[in-house]
Amino acid sequence: GAAPLPPGTQVLTYASPYPPGHPFSRADQRWMQHIEQASGGRLRIKPYWAGALLSSDQSMEEIRHGVADIGLITPIYTRGGAHTQRAQAGFYGGVRSMGEQIGVYRCLAARFPALNNEVRGLRVLAVQPGNFPGILTRTRPVRTLADLKGLRLRAPAENLEVLRALGADPVDMPMADVYSALAKGVIDGVVAPADTLKSLHFAEVAQHFTALRVSRGSYPARAMSERSWNALTPEFQRLLHQSQDVWETALIDEMNAAETAGIAFGKAHGVAFLPIGPADQQRFDALYNGNAARIAAALTRFGSDGTPIFTEAQRLIAARAAEHPSACASNATDPATHA
Amino acid sequence: MITPELIGFAGILLLLILLAVGIPIGIGLALVGGVGLTLLLSPEAALIKAGVITFDTISRYELGVLPLFVLMAHLCFAAGASRDFFDAAARFVGHRRGGLAMASIGGCAGFGAISGSSLATVATITSVALPEMRKANYAPSFATGALAAGGTLGSLIPPSGALIVFGIIAEQSIGKLFAAAVIPGLTQALFYLVAIAILCRLNPLLGPPTTRAPWRERWPALRSIADVGLLIIFVIGGLFVGWFTPTEAASVGSVAALLLCWRRGRLNWRAVSDALQTTLRTTGMIYIVIIGALLFATFISVTGIAALLSNLVAGLDSGPTVAIIAMALVLLLLGSFLDGLALMLLTTPIFLPITLDLGLSPIWFGIFLVRTMEIGFVHPPLGLNVYVIQGIAGDIPLGTIFRGIVPFLLADFLHLALLIAVPALSLWLPGVIA
Amino acid sequence: MTLPPASPAPAETRIDADVGPSPDHRAAPPLARLMLAIGSVALLLAMSTDALAVAGRHAGIRLFGSIEIVQACIVLVATSAIVLTTIVEGHARVHILLDRLKPATATRLLRGADWVSALVFLWLATGSTWLLADLWNAFELTEILHLPLRWLRLAWIVGSLVTAALFVRRALSRTAA
Ligand code: NA
Ligand code: NA
Repeated sequence: GAAPLPPGTQVLTYASPYPPGHPFSRADQRWMQHIEQASGGRLRIKPYWAGALLSSDQSMEEIRHGVADIGLITPIYTRGGAHTQRAQAGFYGGVRSMGEQIGVYRCLAARFPALNNEVRGLRVLAVQPGNFPGILTRTRPVRTLADLKGLRLRAPAENLEVLRALGADPVDMPMADVYSALAKGVIDGVVAPADTLKSLHFAEVAQHFTALRVSRGSYPARAMSERSWNALTPEFQRLLHQSQDVWETALIDEMNAAETAGIAFGKAHGVAFLPIGPADQQRFDALYNGNAARIAAALTRFGSDGTPIFTEAQRLIAARAAEHPSACASNATDPATHA
Repeated sequence: MITPELIGFAGILLLLILLAVGIPIGIGLALVGGVGLTLLLSPEAALIKAGVITFDTISRYELGVLPLFVLMAHLCFAAGASRDFFDAAARFVGHRRGGLAMASIGGCAGFGAISGSSLATVATITSVALPEMRKANYAPSFATGALAAGGTLGSLIPPSGALIVFGIIAEQSIGKLFAAAVIPGLTQALFYLVAIAILCRLNPLLGPPTTRAPWRERWPALRSIADVGLLIIFVIGGLFVGWFTPTEAASVGSVAALLLCWRRGRLNWRAVSDALQTTLRTTGMIYIVIIGALLFATFISVTGIAALLSNLVAGLDSGPTVAIIAMALVLLLLGSFLDGLALMLLTTPIFLPITLDLGLSPIWFGIFLVRTMEIGFVHPPLGLNVYVIQGIAGDIPLGTIFRGIVPFLLADFLHLALLIAVPALSLWLPGVIA
Repeated sequence: MTLPPASPAPAETRIDADVGPSPDHRAAPPLARLMLAIGSVALLLAMSTDALAVAGRHAGIRLFGSIEIVQACIVLVATSAIVLTTIVEGHARVHILLDRLKPATATRLLRGADWVSALVFLWLATGSTWLLADLWNAFELTEILHLPLRWLRLAWIVGSLVTAALFVRRALSRTAA
């Protein structure tokens, strides 16, 4: 803090485990610029990148206790306290776009208190969707689901069962080890979105990208500690509340840009982009949903009832697919005004 | 006006004072980090951060590599594998001028490939090689100087405790760091060998030749290092070609070292339990230091000091080389009164962001940092290797040892300059292996 | 400190993954024996699990969750190791000044360092306890094997409290040698 700030000016800290060049961080910076502009420079955000201030595993706890005012949270990777959040991100089988992922989450959060209860003490400032993963393989092309048989694939934990059912040999390893595992042939492929062709340089070690859409959902990903929120003037509260759309749009934008860049990089490196037949995609989605239903039912062991959430997510997605976006259920409240 | 940067500089000063008055290193780091975070964030935030960092550290899979590599080294030690490298090298080059000193460097490099530490290497090889060199009428200053310098190979040649700790603090791949250290470690040994050859040419009395060992004595010596050599190639090689991750390599290596003990008839309860006990003591000390360092690093990043210094460097607009030389000088200066680990943990949070801003590789920086830190192991007043040697030799004055180190320090500075000038020496191998 | 000023004890200034002094074979106190037992079993279990996972992988048998077993073991290794290091007074410190002071002054400084160390460990234990209180009913489990992490967190808290107590005991008993 060098020059004294003009009176009425407030600085909030923002922390993220990602480096500043990451697409998430680029979206964060766009949101910060928006805040400064919209407040006429009276509300400023001071960023801490690359895990300098917040951990990736316990960031929700850290924000609750004031380590940072605002921060990136990842309830879907948290090992405790967010099991419903974590599971619901797998309930979006058949979803078609990132915008739709956000819309469905808002409806679910408005209807099922369990979701907001898991982010208690926090004020959610943005919901984050994700690029759809495909299947990236080293040398063996995947043109049909039958080609998955015997492939050793690195996949996120929630996809292990589905891949096993298709005869693949799923492996769980840190994403950081995947590049060298691909290069050395330790694995045959990885379930990952196309942006990784460039961001993780997978195009250098893989020859095929199969556009099998592995569904995924969204989750609350930027949050402010409730205490910091309550200390804000109503004007700044309104400003932050209205900035949610800006932040989410920036996230979708940056993720799309990363995907486009990944595909271009892949093409330049000779990666073959393979389509998958509609029948295979449907079969995959059915398996995906069967697994999601099991995960939903298993939430009872954490004292949560997942099945109604899963059913509602699927109803919302089906309604949107049938071009009747019934919006949320009738008892919906504005998702942004939850406590 | 009290700015966060000012609190940061006060914290660094406080830390230096605390360390000087005998506060354990890890405790000092945690204390300054904790007080700093309490002031800059809040008491509650500092407490929660402490809770998060401690458990995150002690439950981190990648950090398991540390106790497991230490265990491997102790088991190899229990198997009696400590003097074999020196013995074998001595039979091949002992008859040359300075040959036993060269064999000591070879012994240090070989033992350094088992042990992660400079002090362990210097202690082990000195106890074997120094008596032999004294028997052969080597000048005490020359003999101990070679050993002190050679011992530092232990902390660069993989496995390396210092690089493991750096990898954790800087969030860099330990496998890559190990690969990056191979060529710098080998060229460092080469520099020492050349230094020995030149010194003995200038003054043949430093290291008189001994009798040439016949080939019938050389073969058994080679055979005696074959099993340990295989173990090293298997563990480090398997790590590089991707048979296993670093943590797995350490586990596999420990199992292999148990087999080595068994093969050599040294496997018994006492040996294993001694190895475990020493491993645990070292482990506990290091974990506390790492927890403290991570708290301290969080404090430093909240102060914004790194950004301030980084802008200062950028403002100088004099290119990365000047900045690197400046960092090396600061490290050597601090290294004259701080020990290696404290030095690394104190400077990484500040220097690493600057390095990244200059567009330099963090892997290269790790090698540069450990190489510079190694020099601190031999230069006065706190050259720990020297005290280890003095502890073993007993009758050789400290001044004599420090005098013997001077030519090797010269070799060190030339080697450091080479690593700065040619980053490819560090970065080529990890690139090939990836 | 009984050492002559010219030669600081290198064994106590061990600073990286280092070979310490040879283990003490005199009868160790029960707490040290317990920590040694827990740490040894956990370390050997971590070693075997990792080695088996490697062997299994190369034989085409996948052992899911081996990393989680190793992680759990490492928590116990680290906790028992920290207690053990404190018992044998193995914490790394800089001796440059201590070894040049009069023994009485050095002892006074070391006693102060013991009190500070006890406070720091109490502080770490408090933060860990606060976090655990928040997470106690959060079903914090590992990914694949669903090992409950709260017991490991509790083990660490107990370990850090014991460490704090050991520092207090040392501060009270330290006398100029
Ligand atoms: Na080494
Ligand atoms: Na030094």
